[in-house]
Amino acid sequence: MEYIIKNGIVFDPLNNIDGEKMDICVRDGVIVESVSNEAKEIDVSGCVVMPGGIDPHTHIAGPKVNTGRIMRPEDSYLDIYNKKGFKIGTGFSIPTTYKTGYEYSEMGYTTAFEAAMPPLKAKHVHEEFVDTPQVDKGALTLFGNNWIVMDYLKEGNYELCAAYVAWVLNASKGFAIKIVNPGGTEAWGWGKNVHGLDDPNPYFNITGREIVRGLTIVNEMLGLPHSVHVHPNDLGHPGNWKTTIETMDCAKDIEPKPKYGKRETIYHNAHLQFHSYGGTSWRDFESRGVEIAEHINKSNHITIDVGQITLDETTTMTADGPMEYDLHMSTGNKWANCDVELETGSGVVPFHYSPKGPVYSVQWAIGLDIFLNTDTDKVLLTTDHPNGGPFIRYSRIIAWLMSKKYRDYWLNEKVHKWAKARSSVGDCDKEYTMYEVAKISRANPAKALGLSLERGHLGVGAIADIAVYDIDPEEKDANTIEKAFRYAKYTFKNGKMVVKDGSVVKEVFGDTIHVNVKINEELEKELMKDLKERFKRDYTIQMDNYPVPNELARSWRSINIDATDIS
Amino acid sequence: MELILTLKEDITVPVELDAILPEKIQDMSEEDIKNIEIPQGRARIKIGDIFDVELKDSEIPKMTVKNSSAKLKRIGEGMTTGEIVVEGDAGMHLGVEMKGGKIVVNGNADNWAGQGMKGGEIIIKGNAEDYLGSTYRGGYKGMSGGTLIVEGDAGHEIGEHMTNGVIHVKGSAKSLTGIHLSGGIIIIDGDVGDRIGGEMIKGAIVVKGKVGNVLPTFKFEGIVEDPVIKIRKKDEGVKVEGKFYKYSGDYCLTKPKGQLYISVDSNPDLRK
Ligand SMILES: [Zn+2]
Repeated sequence: MEYIIKNGIVFDPLNNIDGEKMDICVRDGVIVESVSNEAKEIDVSGCVVMPGGIDPHTHIAGPKVNTGRIMRPEDSYLDIYNKKGFKIGTGFSIPTTYKTGYEYSEMGYTTAFEAAMPPLKAKHVHEEFVDTPQVDKGALTLFGNNWIVMDYLKEGNYELCAAYVAWVLNASKGFAIKIVNPGGTEAWGWGKNVHGLDDPNPYFNITGREIVRGLTIVNEMLGLPHSVHVHPNDLGHPGNWKTTIETMDCAKDIEPKPKYGKRETIYHNAHLQFHSYGGTSWRDFESRGVEIAEHINKSNHITIDVGQITLDETTTMTADGPMEYDLHMSTGNKWANCDVELETGSGVVPFHYSPKGPVYSVQWAIGLDIFLNTDTDKVLLTTDHPNGGPFIRYSRIIAWLMSKKYRDYWLNEKVHKWAKARSSVGDCDKEYTMYEVAKISRANPAKALGLSLERGHLGVGAIADIAVYDIDPEEKDANTIEKAFRYAKYTFKNGKMVVKDGSVVKEVFGDTIHVNVKINEELEKELMKDLKERFKRDYTIQMDNYPVPNELARSWRSINIDATDIS
Repeated sequence: MELILTLKEDITVPVELDAILPEKIQDMSEEDIKNIEIPQGRARIKIGDIFDVELKDSEIPKMTVKNSSAKLKRIGEGMTTGEIVVEGDAGMHLGVEMKGGKIVVNGNADNWAGQGMKGGEIIIKGNAEDYLGSTYRGGYKGMSGGTLIVEGDAGHEIGEHMTNGVIHVKGSAKSLTGIHLSGGIIIIDGDVGDRIGGEMIKGAIVVKGKVGNVLPTFKFEGIVEDPVIKIRKKDEGVKVEGKFYKYSGDYCLTKPKGQLYISVDSNPDLRK
C-alpha cells in the first residue's frame, strides 16, 4: 500500500525541517523518497504534519496499573469509550488497555513506554501489551532496589552486575534500566525510607549515589540505546531540588556509549516536576523549576521529562512504596501497597489535584517553569501518566505552552494564588513554536530513548508513523490548539491510516520493543553460579519459570546489543 | 405539567428510568414520551412499551410513577427541580446525584438511594436498603447536600463518605452507619448495628436507640443533654433532645473531628 500525504506543513526537528510545505511518501510501512502513480493521495493543505508522538514515560500496563483499575471502579465510571467495531473501554485516569491504545492513537501518538516493570511481574506487563492496540510499546525494567544489583555494586563488581542486568533485561523483555527511589523502596521493606542521595539503606548499606552511579556505569558498559532512567530519592518532598541536582551530577563524568541509536546523554530524570520543590515544608513550599532548568541548560549529559500536573482527579502509582504511604496518610485516601520479592515494591493512591489547592497549584506551576525555562532540546513531554494527570491532557499542556494568554488565564483565574506568587510562570513570555512542540513530543524522546534511527522523524527509511493535525502553525487560540492535538486529523501507524478526523478507523497492534543483550559466555557462566544459588535460596519461583515467554507479544521488535566485550 | 406513568404489568428484567425527569418532559407530548428509549437489561425498549402515559396540568414539573416496582432503577437521577412521587417501591439508585427538587416514595427503596446526592429532598415512607446517601462504588465523595428521610429502616453503610446534608432514619440501621463520614449529620431514631462511624473524620451521628458497640478508636467526651450539633463553628446547629454519651473520633485517623452521640437511656450499660 502506498500513500502520498500532500501539501502538509511539516515539522520534523530530527531532520531540521521547520514548517516546510512538502509531501510525505509512504510505501509498505516506511517513509520513502517517492511513490508510484498507484499511491493513494491525501491532501492535507493547511495542516501540520509531524512524526507520530512518542511517550517516553507512562504507566499503562502491568500489576500496579491493574491494581489501580481494580481499586477504582469510580474512575472506570467517569469515562466510556464505546464506538462501533471497537472494543468498549472505560476509565478516565486508568483506562483499560484498548481504550489506552485508541486514545493515544486519537492524539497522533504511535509509541509509548511503560516506565516501571518489575522483572518478576514482567509477564503481566507483556500480557497487557498484547491487548494494547495502536502503538508500539516497550517497558523499562526496574533495577534500583534489586538485591542482586545492590550486592554486586556494593562489591564493586560492575562486570557481573552488567551481566546480571543484561540477563534480567533479556528475561523480562525490557528496554532500559529504570531506577526508582534508589535504595529507598528496599528500605520501605523495613518500614523505612532513605533521605537524600547519601543515606544508606538497611542491611544492604548502599546509598542512592552508589546505585545511580553504578547502574550508569553498567548502562554504558552494556551500550544500551537509552540512558539510565531515574526517579531520584525524595520525590514530592519540599526542598528536594538539591537532591535532584546532586543525583543528576553523580555520574556526569561517564561518557555515553550506546551501541544502538544516537543518544548523547547518560542520565534521564523522570517526571522532574515532582523533584523540583523548594521550601522546607508545605507552608513555605515553592518552585525551584527555574534553578533546575538552568542547571540542565549548562549540563550536556541530561534529558528530562516533566510529569506535568494537569489538575485533575487522577490515580498515583509508583514503585516508590514509601512515597505512596505518605500520600495515603496525608489524604486518608485508599491505598494499595505491594512488595515484589528481591526486586522492588509499589503503591497506588487516588489523588485529586484540585485547582483550588495552594500546593497543587504550585506543583502545576513548577511543571510549567521547567517547560518554559529548559533548553527545548532536553525536555520530553509527559504527565507521568496517570501520576500528574492522564495522558489525554497532553493537548492541554501544549496549549498552555503555546499560548501565554491561556496560561495566564489559568494562572489568574483558575488556580490558587500561590501558583503566581511562588513560581515564575507569570513572568515568563515564552511561547512554544510548533517546531518545539514537535521536539518535546517526538524528536527528543526518540533521541533520548535511542530510537531516532527509525522513529520520531519523517526521513526516508523511518517507520511511517505520522500525525496530521488540523491546525495553522501560527494558531494562538488555546481551544483550537487543545482540540487539534487531542484529536488528530489523521494518524498513520506503520503506513496504515488508523485515525481519521479524530476517530480510530482501523485497529492495529504495534510491536513490543525490547533489547536483547549478548554477554560473554565465560561471564555468563560465572553469573549463573550466583544466580542459580539466588533462585534456590531467595525466590519463590524457579529460574526456568522466570523469563517472559516468546508468545507474550503480537510481534517483538528486538534491538540486539553485543556486550561480549565485558569480561 | 405532571406526567403519570403507570406500569402496565409487573416486570422481571430491570428497567433504567434516568432518561426521564419532570424537568425534561415539560414541553413533550404523550406521544413523544411514549417514544423515549430506555434500557431494559441489555435491550432497549420504549416508555410506551411498559407504561401507560398520561399528562396532566400541574403548577410544578411533576412525575408520578404508579404501580411501581423495585425493578425500576435510577428514578430521579440527576434531578434538579420539581417533584417525583413513586406509588409503590423504587429500585436501586433512586435520586442518584440529585441536585434539587423532591422525591417521595410511598413504598421501599432499594440500595444506593440518594447516592452522591447534592441537594433537594428524598422521603422514603417504607424502608431503605444499603448505601443510602453513599458514594459511587469505590468513590470517596458521598452525599454532599440535601435531606434524606427514611420512615422505616435502613441497611448497611448508610452515609458512606457523606460530606454534607442530613440523613434521618426513623427506624433502625444496620452495621457501619456513617463509615468514612466527612461531614453532615446522620440521625437514627432506632437502633444501629456494629462499628458505627468507622473511619469518620468529620460530621456527626446521633443514635437514639441501642448501638451494637462503639469502636475502641473513639474517645469518650462526657455526657451531654439536648445538644445543639454543629459541624462547622458558624453553623446554626441542629438541636436534638435527650441525654447522650458524646464521643469523638475516629482516632484511627489523624486529627479526627467526628462526633458520635449515643442515647444514654437506650444504652444504660454502654460505659460500664
Ligand atoms: Zn512514572
